Amino acid sequence: MDDYLISVLSHIGIISFIALSAYLLLLTGEISFGQQAFFAIGAYAAGIATAMWGWPLAAGLAWGAATGAAAAALVGVPTLRLHGLYFAIATLAFAEMVRLLFELFRYQIVVVGELVGPNGADGFRGIRYIFENDVGPLQFLLLIYGLLAATLAGFLLLDRARLGVSFRMIGEDEVLAEINGIAVTRHRILAACLAGAIAGIGGGLYAHLTTYVEPRIFDVMLGVHSLAYGLIGGLGTAFGPLLGVLIDIGLLESIRMFAGYRMIIFGGLVALLLIVCPRGLLDEIMVHRIREAWRNICQARPRMTGTRARQ
Amino acid sequence: MIDFVQNTIDGVMIGSSYGLLALGFTLIFGVMRRLNLSYGPSIMVGAYLGTLLYVQLGAAPVAVAVATVLGAALAGIYVERLCFAPMAAGAGVASMVSSFAIWMQLEQAAILILPRHTYPFPPLATGVPLALGPFLLRIDHLIMLAAALGLSLGVQLMLYRSRFGLALRAIIGNPVAAHLVGIDVKIAVLCAFAVASAIGGIAGYLVLATDQQVTPMFGMWATFKGLIAMMIGGLGSIPGAILGGLVLGVVEAHSQWHFGPQVRDLIAYLLLFACLVLRPGGILGETPARSLVDRGKA
Repeated sequence: MDDYLISVLSHIGIISFIALSAYLLLLTGEISFGQQAFFAIGAYAAGIATAMWGWPLAAGLAWGAATGAAAAALVGVPTLRLHGLYFAIATLAFAEMVRLLFELFRYQIVVVGELVGPNGADGFRGIRYIFENDVGPLQFLLLIYGLLAATLAGFLLLDRARLGVSFRMIGEDEVLAEINGIAVTRHRILAACLAGAIAGIGGGLYAHLTTYVEPRIFDVMLGVHSLAYGLIGGLGTAFGPLLGVLIDIGLLESIRMFAGYRMIIFGGLVALLLIVCPRGLLDEIMVHRIREAWRNICQARPRMTGTRARQ
Repeated sequence: MIDFVQNTIDGVMIGSSYGLLALGFTLIFGVMRRLNLSYGPSIMVGAYLGTLLYVQLGAAPVAVAVATVLGAALAGIYVERLCFAPMAAGAGVASMVSSFAIWMQLEQAAILILPRHTYPFPPLATGVPLALGPFLLRIDHLIMLAAALGLSLGVQLMLYRSRFGLALRAIIGNPVAAHLVGIDVKIAVLCAFAVASAIGGIAGYLVLATDQQVTPMFGMWATFKGLIAMMIGGLGSIPGAILGGLVLGVVEAHSQWHFGPQVRDLIAYLLLFACLVLRPGGILGETPARSLVDRGKA
């Protein structure tokens, strides 16, 4: 694979994390404009851990996920009683606060004769773990997709587990969920923490891929995009947000044919798409149809082999 | 003390433009119960149209103002047709994301037409600021304040003294019942959208005429300032929108004076966050009760 393809694929993989993070909250019925905050916190935390404290990458990523989850709990508790637009704007305000705090955040130490660390609006340079430890771009790509596959597997398990049903039920109707004995408060905080952790992992990977982060990257645009990915791709399955990322970054940004007109085409397409399917391409109905079709194929096969065996 | 008063005056003046932006926003939200993220970019389309006339043809300030307001209203109608009218009840999130997509589209279109980073915008009033004792009042700021107060009064009168306003309030109360008593809901909503975008256009024109320049960041700026002012003041409240704008302006002016622009923005968002957590309905809005009747709407 050439370098350009690897870099595009790495980018798609990393952005998928923040898209999945926004998707998880959408499942519980909350719109968040602020998942980029946890992505940013994860990026900074993981970068600090490996570049300044000399931690190994795995520990750094775990630390990024943990700080993302902790920050999500911190913002999840006061915003518990907010819903819909109020919740969306509160998360937006929080994320912008985080971004502006990172513009003021200075914490630098000397590592191997060089000053390393976050330096306010100038950003955080020198997160060079993957170069110092000879992790090639392809290896890092595999790491990204390994973690993404694990996260996706988690989502697929969630759909089959009681927890996932509870999440979707809360998203559908909170009062009804409460009446049916689901601890809504606990589930909402849990969902926020999980979403924060997922975004945190993505942020950690991002910091190590680019070796440089600055607060400007984590603006509202990133947050609204990550939310939009879920809605474009579909809310029926965790593959939906991935499809959304793939359509945006994979198709439009990478094919340079649209340069300059990309947003005009993409914006119009998304608006038209949402008129036809307001819950995205892979919505619940589509997922159900695909599942039915798959089941039919699976059931049809043994009969066919049976007839063949008779012949 | 003089600094304090001068900062407060400046804050009120800047805040009146935030209030105007919030006024258009709250009108859309009040009628649709949906968030139009393309609000600022629609204004930007109008502003870029005005700038195009100014830069290419040297149009007079009046023509620029008319072009800005008309352009904003037309862009607003486009957004309504594409993002709000076709969406069924219960697809509020889809409308919001769709309006975000159109934001990207409008912004890119504006940049394609005028690609430089800044363009000049004709000033509304030049000349020395009025001196009121030791305090200075800019004339264009005074026009802005007058416009904010006048337009909010106008919108209030429109809502409570005209048949169109009666129709809008009926739709806010219950769209189905409004339809049953013979109100053309679609047309009324479209008109409200156009009026709101035109108000945004006026706000945008006044802000840009004061700054005397226009940049591609304007759309985002207008959406977020209007949104913050609206949320602080109280969703769906006309006096709340103006009050929210003034509060935001004064707080920003003082924090800018003491701590600089980065901390100013931080404090503005902190104010918004605290306001939402402690008093989600805003200063003048009603607290959003999540009653059984309300469930599943929007």
